[in-house]
Amino acid sequence: MGADSKTNRWLTAALLTPTSLWFLFLLILPLIVILVFSFGERAAVGGYAGGFTLEHYANLPSRLKAFQNTLIIAPVGTLLALLVAYPLAYYLAVRVSRRYKLILLVLVIVPFWTSLLVRTYAWIFILGGRGIPTLLEFIGIEGVRLINTPGAVLVGIVYGYLPLMVFPIFVSLEKLDKSLLEASSDLGGSPYKTFTQITLPLSMPGVATGCMLVFILLMGEFLIPAFLGGGKVFFIGNALVDLFLQSRNWPFGAAVSVTLVVIMLITVTLYMRMTLRGNTGRDESLM
Amino acid sequence: MSKSNDDNKPISARKFMKYFRSYQNGSISRRHFLGVTGLGTAMTVMGTAVPSLWSGKAHAFGDLGDRLVFSTWPNYQNQVNLDEFTELTGVNIQVNAFGSNEEMLAKLQAGGTGWDVFVPTNYTISNYVELDLIQELDLSRIPNYDPAANNPKFAGPAMVNGKVYCVPKNWGTTGFIVNTKKIKSSPRSWKDFFDVTMGKGSGHTILHDYQLTTIGAALCALGYSFNSIDPKELAEAEDLLIKSKPHLFAITSDYQPGMRSGDAWMSICWNGDGTQLNRDLPEMAYVIASDGGEIWTDFYAIPKDAPHLDAAYAFINFMQDPYVQARDAAVHGYAPTDSRAIALQPDSLATDPILHPAADLMNGLEFGAAQTLTDANRAEVMARFKSA
Repeated sequence: MGADSKTNRWLTAALLTPTSLWFLFLLILPLIVILVFSFGERAAVGGYAGGFTLEHYANLPSRLKAFQNTLIIAPVGTLLALLVAYPLAYYLAVRVSRRYKLILLVLVIVPFWTSLLVRTYAWIFILGGRGIPTLLEFIGIEGVRLINTPGAVLVGIVYGYLPLMVFPIFVSLEKLDKSLLEASSDLGGSPYKTFTQITLPLSMPGVATGCMLVFILLMGEFLIPAFLGGGKVFFIGNALVDLFLQSRNWPFGAAVSVTLVVIMLITVTLYMRMTLRGNTGRDESLM
Repeated sequence: MSKSNDDNKPISARKFMKYFRSYQNGSISRRHFLGVTGLGTAMTVMGTAVPSLWSGKAHAFGDLGDRLVFSTWPNYQNQVNLDEFTELTGVNIQVNAFGSNEEMLAKLQAGGTGWDVFVPTNYTISNYVELDLIQELDLSRIPNYDPAANNPKFAGPAMVNGKVYCVPKNWGTTGFIVNTKKIKSSPRSWKDFFDVTMGKGSGHTILHDYQLTTIGAALCALGYSFNSIDPKELAEAEDLLIKSKPHLFAITSDYQPGMRSGDAWMSICWNGDGTQLNRDLPEMAYVIASDGGEIWTDFYAIPKDAPHLDAAYAFINFMQDPYVQARDAAVHGYAPTDSRAIALQPDSLATDPILHPAADLMNGLEFGAAQTLTDANRAEVMARFKSA
């Protein structure tokens, strides 16, 4: 018995070692490096030079617009992706017959087989002057500008992140016990009531996971705003690319990164508190 | 070389050029061109000029490895040349395209790029040497490079402290392109350019995502030097840029899609892109601004830690061949610095006013200055303008 638990402990340690090392060397240490850099100086030709200064944090307001853009467009994009993904996930999980389910699911994944870069670049031509605006001219709507607007970035976001939202919701709806829906309608619940009282609450874990996945990734997004925002819809991710790849101001880039991480920690903590509390509340009411 | 040897050549240089011209003016297809000239041709034509590739051993190319990483600019090479190099040597070329010299520098500074050959612009060379990021070249391994055929005005920056660090690729100017169907006022200067941007052309101008040209354009519009690093002048340029930002269509160095789709009517433009656009859409006019701008040379250079050094030398030597240069320029439009290559170009390119502007038009142009690459203030002005 004693030997058993000892073996177990060794086994647990052995299994956790790769992950722990991974976290230590590829997450914790780099984060410490970023933190240290954020207090340093920009070397004369760019890069990092040692030192201690708070000037980079004092300079953060110069990137206010980028923070604002990200903090507005990322949540809106998440919400739009949710609104588009939910009906699709519902259809796939509840309505589609077993025969077609797999094929349709694969179709949701297929776009992932091509690089997001190529797919987003294609949208430049769809949203550009010779694309949808030309089609709109045929039906008499002229002078529409789509490309390089926040709207274009949102289209790109919904398109690019849809599968990430669909799958968690699909999984939670798939597990949904159909007899609950029957019970609801047997007891005289309207379809609307059944949806709001049973389907939606039970799919909340999937919705929460999907939103979190999409939101966190969006906060660091730079490719979609660069391509579909034409450098005019500027995310904090774009500011970071600039600071590291163009102006080579590593310390300021590090300070912006640290700030982004802090903002993320706060929002995600608040979000988890909210969804967890919401869940327990509903669990009780379901009892 | 005996006569019979000459007869054994699959195709003569003269004949090659005949087919090459036919291919260029479109009377034969690329497939046909490659068919009649083909691999043997290229080897023969090059063989006369590339002794290092023909050093006797049948497997001479085997030593080069199978990979070469080439970092360059968009729309700046003829794929036929790259494919041919691969066919000749078995070396596969991975091409990376960049939008600014700063980006190239950032990658090289961070280290571990794996690049073998890259294409820096004149004003960056001395910085790269100072930072110990590029190698001194062994010109005996690039016999196709002929210093005498290259105008020292363009080839000059290759030499730092008496040592040669790179060989020239192409030269050109930075001006702007105007869609004359949309903008009738024929802007002539950077001042006009920004006036039109904030006036009749509002919403249809592209500025580069590149500090040198975008800040340079704003500085010229204000009557200052393209290369200024004076904080007061830069502050004024930043004001102008930020004031114009709401009127811009985009900030991007990939401006051809926007110009071609008709969304953008005006853009800062490199002259080779100007020829590419003008070739397809005659209403596209390239303008060298009367109040200044840039003249530049791009070079082939080898990073200090290039993993495939032999392949890098073979590739640069291949690309220096006049025929290969001419074939490259036939696609990307930029003028070679090498007079041997210009002599091989069809008249339409060799005398093209966009590629070879009259000397007096270029009086106001400046070569980029080394300090613009590393000036922290210039970098930050650009970054602030973009995130404004």
